[in-house]
Formats: sequence, C-alpha cells, structure tokens
Amino acid sequence: MASNEEGSIGTSMHGVTAREQVYSFSVDASSQTLQSDDPTAKFGLPVDSEHRAKVFKPLSFAKPHMRAFHLGWISFFTCFISTFAAAPLVPIIRDNLDLTKTDVGNAGVASVSGAIFSRLAMGAVCDLLGARYGTAFSLMLTAPTVFSMSFVTGPVGYLAVRFMIGFCLATFVSCQYWTSVMFNGKIIGLVNGCAGGWGDMGGGVTQLLMPMVFQVIRLAGATPFMAWRIAFFIPGFLQVVVGVLVLTLGQDLPDGNLSTLQKSGQVSKDKFSKVFWFAVKNYRTWILFVLYGFSMGIELTINNVISGYFFDRFNLKLQTAGIVAASFGMANFFARPFGGYASDLAARLFGMRGRLWILWIFQTVGALFCIWLGRASSLPIAILAMMLFSVGTQAACGALFGVAPFVSRRSLGLISGLTGAGGNFGSGLTQLLFFSTSKFSTADGLSLMGAMAALCTVPVAFIHFPQWGSMFLRPSSDGERSKEEYYYSSEWTEEEKRQGLHEGSIKFAENSRSERSRKVALADFPTPETGTPTHV
Amino acid sequence: MAIHKSLFASLLICLLFQISHGATKERLFSDLEKGALEVTAKPSREGVLDAGIDKLSITWKLSSTATKEAEFTTIKVKLCYAPVSQVDRPWRKTENELFKDKSCPHKIITRAYDKSPQSFEYTLERDIPTGTYFVRAYAVDAKDHEVAFGQSTNEAKSTNLFSVQAISGRHKSLDIASICFSVFSVLALLVFFVNEKRKAKIEQSK
Repeated sequence: MASNEEGSIGTSMHGVTAREQVYSFSVDASSQTLQSDDPTAKFGLPVDSEHRAKVFKPLSFAKPHMRAFHLGWISFFTCFISTFAAAPLVPIIRDNLDLTKTDVGNAGVASVSGAIFSRLAMGAVCDLLGARYGTAFSLMLTAPTVFSMSFVTGPVGYLAVRFMIGFCLATFVSCQYWTSVMFNGKIIGLVNGCAGGWGDMGGGVTQLLMPMVFQVIRLAGATPFMAWRIAFFIPGFLQVVVGVLVLTLGQDLPDGNLSTLQKSGQVSKDKFSKVFWFAVKNYRTWILFVLYGFSMGIELTINNVISGYFFDRFNLKLQTAGIVAASFGMANFFARPFGGYASDLAARLFGMRGRLWILWIFQTVGALFCIWLGRASSLPIAILAMMLFSVGTQAACGALFGVAPFVSRRSLGLISGLTGAGGNFGSGLTQLLFFSTSKFSTADGLSLMGAMAALCTVPVAFIHFPQWGSMFLRPSSDGERSKEEYYYSSEWTEEEKRQGLHEGSIKFAENSRSERSRKVALADFPTPETGTPTHV
Repeated sequence: MAIHKSLFASLLICLLFQISHGATKERLFSDLEKGALEVTAKPSREGVLDAGIDKLSITWKLSSTATKEAEFTTIKVKLCYAPVSQVDRPWRKTENELFKDKSCPHKIITRAYDKSPQSFEYTLERDIPTGTYFVRAYAVDAKDHEVAFGQSTNEAKSTNLFSVQAISGRHKSLDIASICFSVFSVLALLVFFVNEKRKAKIEQSK
C-alpha cells in the first residue's frame, strides 16, 4: 500500500490508489484543497489529523473548537462562583446561623471535599458520555443545592449544603477534557491554562459579586438574614442558564457529538474497567495527584481563609479584606494561562523535559512566597508576598495541565479527574491540618502550608517518559521504547490492538512528537512505520 | 491584566487610607473611667427575647462617682456580647485597644449628653444574632474619643444578662421559589438527555 511522508514531494499522489488509510499522516491545511469532500474544510480553524484545532483564537466563537473552549471555561467559572459564594458572606451567615469558628472551618473543608469524589466520577463520565453531558450534569444537578441555602437553619445544614454545592467543581475536569480533545498538543498548555485560569477567576469574582448582590438586595428592603439567602439565587440561576447553553451550543468532539459518533461507529465505546485500570496503574497519575494537591489545593484553601486572615491580622474593613481576597483569585486571569504558555514554550525548546522543569520551578517559587506571606507582619509586604505567591502557584496549575494530556490517551478523562480530585484533596487536607485548630495562628498555618507544598513538589523529578526523558534523565535509547507509539499503544492489550481499537492512540502519538526537544526533532525526521513509498 | 492592575491600584489606595487612619488609635479600654454612668436594661418580658419583636427598656444617668463629667458631649449606647457568646468566635473578641475591640458591635442609640436621667425604649433589631447580651453606654468627648462608660452588668459580665433569639431569615416565598427553580433545572436536563438519545437511535436506524 502506498504511503506518504509529511509535506514531502509526491503528496499530490495521495488519494490516487484510494487504498491509503486516512490517518497515517498529519496534513497541513494547504494539501487539503486537493480533495473535494475534505472533511476539515468545515472547521473554522486549521486542524490536525484528529481534527483538533492547531491555533487558539480567544476572541472567536467558531464552531466547534472555540465554542467548546468558551462554554467550558464559563461553566467552570460559574461553578467556582457557587462553591465560594458563601466565603465573603460568612460574617452575615455566622450571625444568622449562630456558627462558631469550628463550624465555619469545617464547612470550608466540606466545600472542597465533595469534589474529590465528583471529579473522579467526572473523568469516567467524560470518557463514556462526552464532555457536554459531563458539564451539564454538574451544573444542572447541583443548581438545586445552591437554591437550598434558603432552607438552612444551623451549622449542620450549612455544612451539608456547602458540601453538596462543592460537587459542581467537577466541571473543572469536563472543561479540561473538552479542551484537550478540541486542541492540538502544541498549544494545549496555553489553552488549558486559559480555560483553567479564567474559570478559577470565579473564586475571586465571587468575593466581589456576592457582597454587591447582597447590598442591592438589602437596599431593596430585605433584612440581612434573608438577603444573603436571596443572593444565592444568582449563582444558582447562572448555573442553570449556562447548563442549557452548553447542551444547545456545545459539541463533544470536533466531528460531532459522542452519542452520534458512537452509534455510527466512528468512535468506539471503551470499557470503564480498562480505562480505570490504565489510569490507576500509571504512577505518573499519582505524582500529578500530589502535585496538584499542593498547587490548586492551596489555592482553594486560600480562597476560603485569606479574607478572614487580612480582616483579623491587619484589621482591615470587610470590604477591603474582600478586595484583597478577590485580587488573589483574579490574578488567575493571566497567571494560569502564563503557566500554560510557558510550558508550551519550554516544550518547543526542550520538549517534555522543559515542561517538567517549568512546573517544578513555578510550584516551588509559589510555595516559598506562601511561607513569606505567613511571616510578613506589615500589610504592604503581606500583599506583595500574596500576589507573588498567587502568580507562582497559579502558573504551576497551568503548567501541570501542559503535562497531564500526555500521560495517557486512553484514560485522559479519568486522569484529568484524578488530578483534579488531588487538588481538592490537598485543599481539604491543608485546611484540616493548618486552619481548623487553634494549635497555630493563621499566619503560622500559612507558612507551614508553604513549606509542605515545597516538599511535595519534589516528586515531579520522578516523572519519566521513555520517549522524552525526565527532569534529570535522558529519553530511552532503546529503538522500540523511544517511540511515542510504543508508550501510547502499551495502554491497549494485544487483542484490542488486533481489533484496531488503538488507532486513536496512534494518531495521538504522531501528533505528540512535538514533545521531543528541538535538537532531537531536527536530527530525527519522523517517518511512518510502513516504510519507504514505492511510487517514487 | 487591566483588571488586575486597577484592583492592585485600588488596594494600594485603601492601604494608604488604613495606614493614615490607624495612626491615632492606641486608646485603651482600661484607661476609661469605669462606672461613670449607671445603666439599666430591662427586657419587656421574661425568657428568651425575639429579635424584631421584643423590647428593652434602657435607662442611664450620671453616677455619683463620676469625675470626668465636664468632658462628656455625647452618650453612645451599645449592645454587647456576654462572654458565653464569645466562645470559639474570635470575631466577637474583647480587646483592650478600643479600635480593635469587637465585643460591642450593635448600636442602640446616640444622644447628646444631658445631666438628667435618660431612657430609651429599644426594639431589638432584626439583624441581632442569637446570643447573650448586656448594654453598655460610652461617654464620648468633643473629639469623638471615649472617656468613660457604664454597663448594665457587673465587671465580670455575669449578672443581669438577657438572651436573644434571632430571626430565622427564612420565608415561605423563598422556599417555594427555591423548589421551583430546582425542579426546572433537573427536568430541563432530563428532557435534553432523553431527546438526544432518541435522536441518536433514529439516526442509527436510518
């Protein structure tokens, strides 16, 4: 069977024998004009062989790639608003419900714990039902829990409702999954960084939005103890609206919706047990779990405690403390995309090894500034430390999701889920250890949390890809194992490979050659496995 | 980025405000003259009072032991937390520095100082939280600095305390709206899901 090399002379012969398998080369947009029924012509952006977009245009709403991006990050943003909506209103809520500091702290832990389970489940849901339903389930099934703040009368109800609202943070996984299937590996760091960062911004926006909504409702005549309950209708309503938009405007995969593609046989249904096994067996998943626990984890913790910290330690007024708290979350707007972009840039120069180094650097620097924040006793220094800490940690989050899409192709959704769950686990753990007891002051808690984060970032040195290397080791010199195809097809059994179920992974492997460093890529021009073309 | 910059700028401005504002505030509670005013607070009925409904009958007059009477210009009467309502609640903590003290956040009334005995009928506001309270009256001078005080309880804050039960903040209309929106959300999702599954089956059978 004739086969072609990418971009070489002779590609014009492609299509002549009609026996070529369409997927065995990556095509540029230019060579597409030769075919009249070219499937990629319908896409608004240039795409690769898996129909994933190769460019990122944040101001566009082109179907389906940019639409998926915008729907994804807006869903996630809305969920962050709901999950942390209580935090700026705690001074009112604690008086209405007669809460103690322990009650408030426990509710904070509960608000991030629910998502540990829902993020795990979401990975599986995305793999099996598609990103659209994953997002919509999360938004529209947790909206009732947001509305149910109207019924809460004491600490137990408050904790239960915050726990249930927290489930919606699973949209993080569906959002990252959606962008990972829509965008090419070369730009995935930046895209995931933007989606994640703009979504995380919700945690900052809510600190400004909820007090404002509360104030407006009070001006309309409600008492404070009723106004805060009414204020919760805003995030709940937003969730429903965005959920409907996702279902009507979104699309699971570049080629269509998952259920349609599955029924028409273009995408095979995978077995959950296999997806789960390959995710869990891969040690890199667990290192990412810990890493994310100490970047996103401490970010979530800070969302819950920072307003109170500035209010108490520096005696700021509630509104000022709210502005400070909001600044921490809003830095996500550029910090996380910056992390993703830096990861992509490092990959262009040094391949995957560059991505790993960038991740380690950002996360460690962020952790060190967190230690400084706890030590700072003057307000300007504390704010400076907090802003530097926020940039470092949030950039680390962005950089981590520049690495995650390459850990597995088969279990992408579940790994995103496990990593995301790690974030919430880290947050619950740090809040429990450092901010729920009177053993340490909040300031000491912050420094200890920073120290623990710096320590728990060291495991990134152990992430090793045979085809690309790790922070300190070179890629494998073995001819077989140094190929991307070997790594990604090792997730399929021989039986499955015979049935051709692994073809998606092979496509992905080819596109992931971008993760070799520039030196290696130039020296080793990628050739298809099938050998030299016979027609030349 | 622009958002971040303008936030940071407004933060700096607030900071400067705080720094300049805070410079003059090291006045201590322990410097105030104790018992300069005799204050009584009598609840309108026995038992736990309901916020928004029950009243307090508050009276205050100059005590015979007062010495700084010449400086009194205004009397500020406040509702304060008893120690039992401050347990495990650092936001209600009693601090010696007056500007840091958070134990008397609820204002009852402010009146110009008058030599004759004063009284006031106070209806408990609807934003008073559940807790145990007493009443304190601060005597303030022309510079708006506290100089003396009197309270309805003893120094240990253990006598003449009264309890208040807050309003629930719930309302039937809220409950109904909440249920309606919740049902709509779940139903809409189900409708979409079932519809799409049906359409996919039709596609397949074509």
